[in-house]
Amino acid sequence: MINILSYVCIVIGLVFWFWGTWPLLGSRSVLFKLHSLSVADTLGSMAIVVGLLLRIPHEWPLLVLGLISLAIWNTVLGYVLAYCSTQEDS
Amino acid sequence: MSHSAITDNYLYVIMVLLPLAALMLVIQTSPYQALVIRGILGAVAALIYAVLGGADVALTEALVGTMLAITLYAVAVRSSLVMRLGVLSGEEVRSNLHWRPLLNYLRALLNRYHLRLELVTYDDVQTLHQALQTKDVHGTCLVCRPAEAVQLPDDDRPAQHSNPSTVPVDTLESPYLITLRVPRLYEIFTTELPPVMAQVKALGDDGLDDLRTGDRQPALADASTLTEDD
Amino acid sequence: MTAVLMAMIAALLIPMVEAFQDEDIWQRMLAFASIATKTSVMILVVSVLRDDWMIGMVGVLILSVGNAALMLLAHIIRRLSEVMEEY
Repeated sequence: MINILSYVCIVIGLVFWFWGTWPLLGSRSVLFKLHSLSVADTLGSMAIVVGLLLRIPHEWPLLVLGLISLAIWNTVLGYVLAYCSTQEDS
Repeated sequence: MSHSAITDNYLYVIMVLLPLAALMLVIQTSPYQALVIRGILGAVAALIYAVLGGADVALTEALVGTMLAITLYAVAVRSSLVMRLGVLSGEEVRSNLHWRPLLNYLRALLNRYHLRLELVTYDDVQTLHQALQTKDVHGTCLVCRPAEAVQLPDDDRPAQHSNPSTVPVDTLESPYLITLRVPRLYEIFTTELPPVMAQVKALGDDGLDDLRTGDRQPALADASTLTEDD
Repeated sequence: MTAVLMAMIAALLIPMVEAFQDEDIWQRMLAFASIATKTSVMILVVSVLRDDWMIGMVGVLILSVGNAALMLLAHIIRRLSEVMEEY
């Protein structure tokens, strides 16, 4: 039961990964790509880590640390990249 | 690693990514693009080292190889790939709009050589010339108006035999006079900068007549005696 | 689990292709950010697959530190773009 749930989480994360990464190949603006990348990529990565957490619960401190750093760093990085890439237009 | 025999097939696929990223890095010409690709290479390398079981190597690659090296190289590239052009402060502030086309053209020109243009302002012509002599700037840009002849200070160095005391005023050509110290920059500027934008002159050259046709050979010979420091 | 890793490698190839074909430096930075996150999550998956705490710790460290390098590089490139328009 737990195993199936973890697989479901990981597959959802993979779907999010492809969904968020696929717009990178198009010729849209940087901010559009950054939006899809930061939202879908972070959610996908967090879903994958949650799937791994369900699989091996005894490594929880490590994986929870990974979850927290994913959530914080990717959000901050999204802001920093957006700030830095729009500065040259003004 | 007992179970690596079972999971060998994904290992091979991961291993292919490393030469792929390395190839991408090698064919880059721009230094900043190469730095970004170096980050990608570092991430892939850390992944491979971790998958192969070398946790310490992966950590070192991520911390030193990617983070420290990229930061140091970015700072080094940023501070070395720059052309410092000395200008007079009063002129730049006063007639900024007149400078704009020339500066844009120069930036686009230097951009092709991955160089950056940095303007250094000086208060008067004397300090500007001093900065060029003491290699503070790579070149100077002066505006010569037909009405006035910009008076340069007399050089007291005996080696500088042919220093002009007066910058020639060419009423037909562009009012901008760029004096360059570095021979390579002089080469680039004489071949790619059209004469209507600015006149180009090497340091230590008389430059009284047309530089772009007849006097290029002595100018280059004179400029090549100067040392290039970047 | 191997199939999951294979799919992850396929997802990793997308930003690499993007970094190869796009000349704009910010698009490449985006690809770099994507690759940095993806490789560290892959390290975590491999560590769980092998039940290896050591590799997992390296994955978490790279996850939290690799992004810092990205931000430093982004700021340096932005400082560069202020002086040199349209790099």
